Amino acid sequence: MTAETIIQSLASGLLMGLLYGLIAVGLALIFGLMDVVNFAHGEFLMIAMYATFFLFAFFALDPLLAAPLVAAALFVFGAVVYLLVVRFAVRAKANTGMVQIFSTFGLAVLMRGVAQYFFTPDYRSIPHSWLGGKTISIGGIYLPQPQLIGALIAIAAFAGLYFFIHRTDFGRALEATREDAGAVALVGIDKNKVFALGWGLGAALVGLAGAVMSIFFYVFPDVGASFATIAYVTVALGGFGSVFGAFAGGIIVGLVEATTTLILPPSLKTVGIYGVYLLVVFIRPRGLFGSI
Amino acid sequence: MTITRRNVLLGATAAAALGPIAARAQTSEVKIGVIYPFSGASAQIGVDAQRAFETAAEIINGKYDYDLPLARTEGLPGLGGAKIKLVFADHQADPQKGRAEAERLITQEKVSAIIGSYQSAVAVTASQTCERYQIPYLSADNSSPSLHRRGLKYYFRAAPHDEMFSGAMFDFFDMMKKKGTKIETLALFHEDTIFGTDSGNAQLKLANERGYKIVADIKYRANSPSLSAEVQQLKAANADVLMPSSYTTDGILLVKTMAELGYKPNAIVAQDAGFSEKALYDAVGDKLEGVISRGSFSLDLAAKRPMVGKINDMFKAKSGKDLNDFSSRQFMGLIVMADAINRAKSADGEKIRDALAATEMPGEQTIMPWKRVKFDESGQNNDADPVLLQYVGGKFVTIFPAQAAVAEAIWPMK
Repeated sequence: MTAETIIQSLASGLLMGLLYGLIAVGLALIFGLMDVVNFAHGEFLMIAMYATFFLFAFFALDPLLAAPLVAAALFVFGAVVYLLVVRFAVRAKANTGMVQIFSTFGLAVLMRGVAQYFFTPDYRSIPHSWLGGKTISIGGIYLPQPQLIGALIAIAAFAGLYFFIHRTDFGRALEATREDAGAVALVGIDKNKVFALGWGLGAALVGLAGAVMSIFFYVFPDVGASFATIAYVTVALGGFGSVFGAFAGGIIVGLVEATTTLILPPSLKTVGIYGVYLLVVFIRPRGLFGSI
Repeated sequence: MTITRRNVLLGATAAAALGPIAARAQTSEVKIGVIYPFSGASAQIGVDAQRAFETAAEIINGKYDYDLPLARTEGLPGLGGAKIKLVFADHQADPQKGRAEAERLITQEKVSAIIGSYQSAVAVTASQTCERYQIPYLSADNSSPSLHRRGLKYYFRAAPHDEMFSGAMFDFFDMMKKKGTKIETLALFHEDTIFGTDSGNAQLKLANERGYKIVADIKYRANSPSLSAEVQQLKAANADVLMPSSYTTDGILLVKTMAELGYKPNAIVAQDAGFSEKALYDAVGDKLEGVISRGSFSLDLAAKRPMVGKINDMFKAKSGKDLNDFSSRQFMGLIVMADAINRAKSADGEKIRDALAATEMPGEQTIMPWKRVKFDESGQNNDADPVLLQYVGGKFVTIFPAQAAVAEAIWPMK
């Protein structure tokens, strides 16, 4: 094992970890806001990737240019999902938790089925893009440009989200609703509007991740599954309800995954992630930066 | 089917001969279960497989002037012209669902035989269920060598397994070495289900026997979100030949990651799977000029046997794709099974099993480069010769063995 191998592993892990964080942060945001776990999070990622793919296939739009459009479209989609599905699920009189789980889980199965029906189960990928297959090499360390730009976009998105939550009226409304949804109604804040905004934001973030990912990953109806699992671990590791936790959790997961393969065979690389995760929840059940 | 006097007579004779009345009731139609992944990560394989099986059923049930068993007659003459009816079941690449679906097909759909299943891991459970109910299971495209070594009586495979495929690869290496090409070190890269594991083991064994040095033996987790660590190890090993055993998704990610991390091996010799799938070449074909994959089928064969081209046209009209390594084996799977049912003159599992064991189909009556179809004690056809194909200018050409080759191998790849 040379120093180069170690640095390369850390670099790859960091780049991938920021992306994991970007995927997870929407999940954390929604959970923090209203205690709802979106089990269709992976499917949100999937439709974002399909949207990017089709914008490329029909309009030759580069994924980088498509990213803001996809994020905007996912924002609307997320808000609509809240207004049409989740709003009713959380209103259930009995077994609210179960109804909530099955509603988003059912939505996930439905989205996968619809995608398979309309887009076929074929694997698609974007063969040419500005960044696709391009790499920067610094002293023998390779940094793939798609992942590099993805990491930068992730950092920018985290910063933007942080600013939005802490410096704007809407953000403050978001925080307040999160603290006490009943009390904000008294001061004239429409709870539903705030929740819809939260879902929209969460979906927009995963939309951004999907657009970037489609440069270097393939798209098919089940693509969300493997990333969603990592996103759930990331959120739990970083701390439930903490947006910053998701950011940090993503980086940790990425680094642990990459460094595990330095010691263990690659087929066991997720062992490292779950090992660290178990350790964290054992010592600190709420996660590293969790407040709930 | 209209009931003619001949059919009634045949039915009566059959009933008299076989005893059970159930056998007579089934003679107008023989149901065959087809277990494939129709949803989940491998769903596309199932969708294409369905078209391949439907093409074969059309040829069996209709009248076509091909030199293929049962093509020239309508239905199964051995059962009074009975038609083949396919019952499709979705195993979602899950061995447990495969077992449950096999059981459902046998007990509820009353199928006479089962064909499957793409994933070898599913073939294990489905064929065990078949064994218990004494219903023949035919692996159309499962390639794990361990499958036919379980002492099952009802298990059959007309196609080659990975040791035969890997054997062909090493025969090819030996030949290239004789010609002066430097091939000393190999890197194995295989996924962690039974397909990749068996393939890796077979290659490891052959490499040791024939004096090639394995400089990397990487078993990786299937459907990983990232393969950068794995590719890094391959790059560090820098072998003369990279030998991947991967399904489509991993194959695409592998090739993309290799390009990103600046790894370009001299040659890639793949254990087909993902590397014979159109989706992979649509995605990363530009990086794969000169890649070699093993196969059991090549469209080149149409030059020698025109029916291959015509059957390909029929399949293409349904699926929009050319026959490939999988669809050709799936197609032949049903032909071999129907031929046995026809000779068994019965829809009874045990009789079909005996007819399968007695199969003797010359290679010219298949669409494959095989010598013939004849099963040994374990149900394996040892005369199914594999071929090696090279991806050149957007299509595959046969480069090995000599009797099937239409071109010289390009080495190193571009």
